[in-house]
Amino acid sequence: MRIKKHPILEFGEQTKIHFTYNGKKMYGYIGDTVASALHALGIRRLSDSIKLKRPRGFYCAIGNCASCNMVVNDVPNVRTCITELEDGMIVKTQEGKGNVYETF
Amino acid sequence: MKANIVIIGGGISGVSIAYNLAKKGMKDIVVFDDNYMTGGATGRCGAGIRQQWGTLMNCKLAKMSIDFFETAQETLEYHRDVEFKQEGYLVVATTKKEDEISEKNVALQNSVGIPTQKLTPKEALTIVPHLNIDEVVSATFCPTDGHLNPFLMTDAYYQAAKKLGVTFFYEEKVIEIVTKDKQIKKVITEHHEVFTSKVVNVAGGYSREVGLMAGVDIPVFSENHEILVTEPTEKIQGPMVISFSKNIYCQQVPHGSFIMGRSDLQALHNHDIGHTHQFLDEMAKTAVNLLPPLGDLRVVRQWGGSYNITPDRQPIISDTDQCSGYYMGVGFSGHGFMFAPITGILLSEIILEEKPTIDITKLHIDRFKNKNLQSYETNVV
Repeated sequence: MRIKKHPILEFGEQTKIHFTYNGKKMYGYIGDTVASALHALGIRRLSDSIKLKRPRGFYCAIGNCASCNMVVNDVPNVRTCITELEDGMIVKTQEGKGNVYETF
Repeated sequence: MKANIVIIGGGISGVSIAYNLAKKGMKDIVVFDDNYMTGGATGRCGAGIRQQWGTLMNCKLAKMSIDFFETAQETLEYHRDVEFKQEGYLVVATTKKEDEISEKNVALQNSVGIPTQKLTPKEALTIVPHLNIDEVVSATFCPTDGHLNPFLMTDAYYQAAKKLGVTFFYEEKVIEIVTKDKQIKKVITEHHEVFTSKVVNVAGGYSREVGLMAGVDIPVFSENHEILVTEPTEKIQGPMVISFSKNIYCQQVPHGSFIMGRSDLQALHNHDIGHTHQFLDEMAKTAVNLLPPLGDLRVVRQWGGSYNITPDRQPIISDTDQCSGYYMGVGFSGHGFMFAPITGILLSEIILEEKPTIDITKLHIDRFKNKNLQSYETNVV
């Protein structure tokens, strides 16, 4: 869901960009973060807790917690709530704690 | 209150001594610590356990401690896993001189049954694949070294000692030790007066001060050593990687975080346990130089802790002629956690006037009366 009408703020026309989420084609707008784009599309489960694998969603939204950590362009543990969405990004749900060798 | 013995310091050494004394049947053992359990050097340490030392005494102490740690959980009947992981220490030599010294050290370690092997840089890569071998001349590896959780190990000893009747007072500071004619009479704390004839000083960073309380001059000083921990990742590194010339130790703990530390060569002799951005900067550069993939990790926390250091960087485990009934296990020079089992065994033997398991005259405080020290431990970060 996105706010279209607001009593004070105005939202002009925004430029649509595309990315993939677990292989599926998705869209967002310039100025979105990865997490805000996913949230607007109704995707609530961003990661899983490390030990019990319980769902973790959009939580602190300022890069302090690890709730939105995902694999972005093959880099694990990316805090998607403070990572600006770019056209063509490849976003994946992270399994486990992330392997630093994938980027090395 | 009356006690047979008062132990000052409830860190790993204190709980180990309390447990060993109680196990041998001593009653009325009281432990005081001015902080919470593991609030001092124990809880601030790098959680590594190694046997690769450069002096015979340190090798023996380390070997016997590892032997205990291997079955500690069962022996102490602890209900949790103490996270003892034996995946070795890889000691990296980066200079010719260090390479020569390591050769001697391996022979020394092997002579007391420590299974250290010498490796070429290529062989080292098979153990730590992400090691940057450009500057590595050689390495030594001991597979039975490893990691142990300091918080759980201390609690395991504490619980076992408590079951045997030891009384603990945490967050209660000892203010005064009353002596008469070089004999211990009384220990006064913030809330208690304890009549006793024996005191054990295992006060870590504050052991010099606790010595002076009874008029015992212990030649130790404290120095801040900083450390940091990263976010967790999937396991990529089994052993601790350590280099004395590069001034670094770094290991991945079972949780997945990397813990690493280095010495500040300009550190002052005081009780500072703060943390600095200079350390963060130097530590990151050193770690990334030796272990490049770690550059992608975020640091989640850093802290400092006291090394209590002797002139020869080997511990003092002894009584003293400066005061009768006064015992000490101090000056571990950054390695009190990994030596704790043998510290507890040896001090309990000294206190109960039993024959010590190993000859420890070289660990007596009197060795410093002779100004020409016989051995000096170089293997310290």
